[in-house]
Amino acid sequence: MSSTPATNAAELPDVDPDALTRLERFGGRKLLREMIALFVEIAPARLSTALRAVAEGSMTTAENELHSLKSSSAQLGAMKLSRLSERGELLARAGMVTGITETLLESRTELARVQSWLAGEREARGA
Amino acid sequence: MTTLAVVEDNADNRLLLQALLGERYSLVEFDNGADALAGLARSLPDLVLLDISLPGMDGNEILARIRADERLRALPVIALTAHAMAGNREKYLSAGFNDYITKPIVDEMILIEAIERWLVRR
Repeated sequence: MSSTPATNAAELPDVDPDALTRLERFGGRKLLREMIALFVEIAPARLSTALRAVAEGSMTTAENELHSLKSSSAQLGAMKLSRLSERGELLARAGMVTGITETLLESRTELARVQSWLAGEREARGA
Repeated sequence: MTTLAVVEDNADNRLLLQALLGERYSLVEFDNGADALAGLARSLPDLVLLDISLPGMDGNEILARIRADERLRALPVIALTAHAMAGNREKYLSAGFNDYITKPIVDEMILIEAIERWLVRR
């Protein structure tokens, strides 16, 4: 990571491996393995639920799902996905259907990248 | 053993709290407000860790019900939230939470110190 404070989203890191190191410190490789497994299981469902909720006009459901995804992503170091989730959460709260759909589609692409990154980290860390 | 009630709908956060706190405290977990209030009434814990953003009854409403209940009102309640905006700490403390911890959890000692601070005051 850069030691220079970032000033905009383009300069912020997409992922933060230190978050995974922290989880290992909290609970060893077992916790890391279980946290990654839960995320891989739950995050796609949260995103799908949010997309469906937006299509059905249920913005509160979308906001809740994205709020949870924001937190879970950040805990695992998926920082870009966390930022996208936060943007989606705020758009859902504001009822901005067009903007949120675009953000959710970008989130889906980012989630696929995160899953690939986590699989690599899990293997590299023997978790 | 000191008992903490954890009210949190996200399984990953419950897993993390169990890893961080499970050796120090006995944790009783609830994933929604209705079950939490029923559980607290059945068996009083020493402290409550309460997520704010819960589906249905949210953390603020659960807190209001705890403070309105004669048996529960003295319970220390620590807010757990991913709403980490400026001014939120004051907002939650003035709403009646005893303390406020932001997610993601990056320093377990901040959480443990907050818990211990309120346990010794009981």
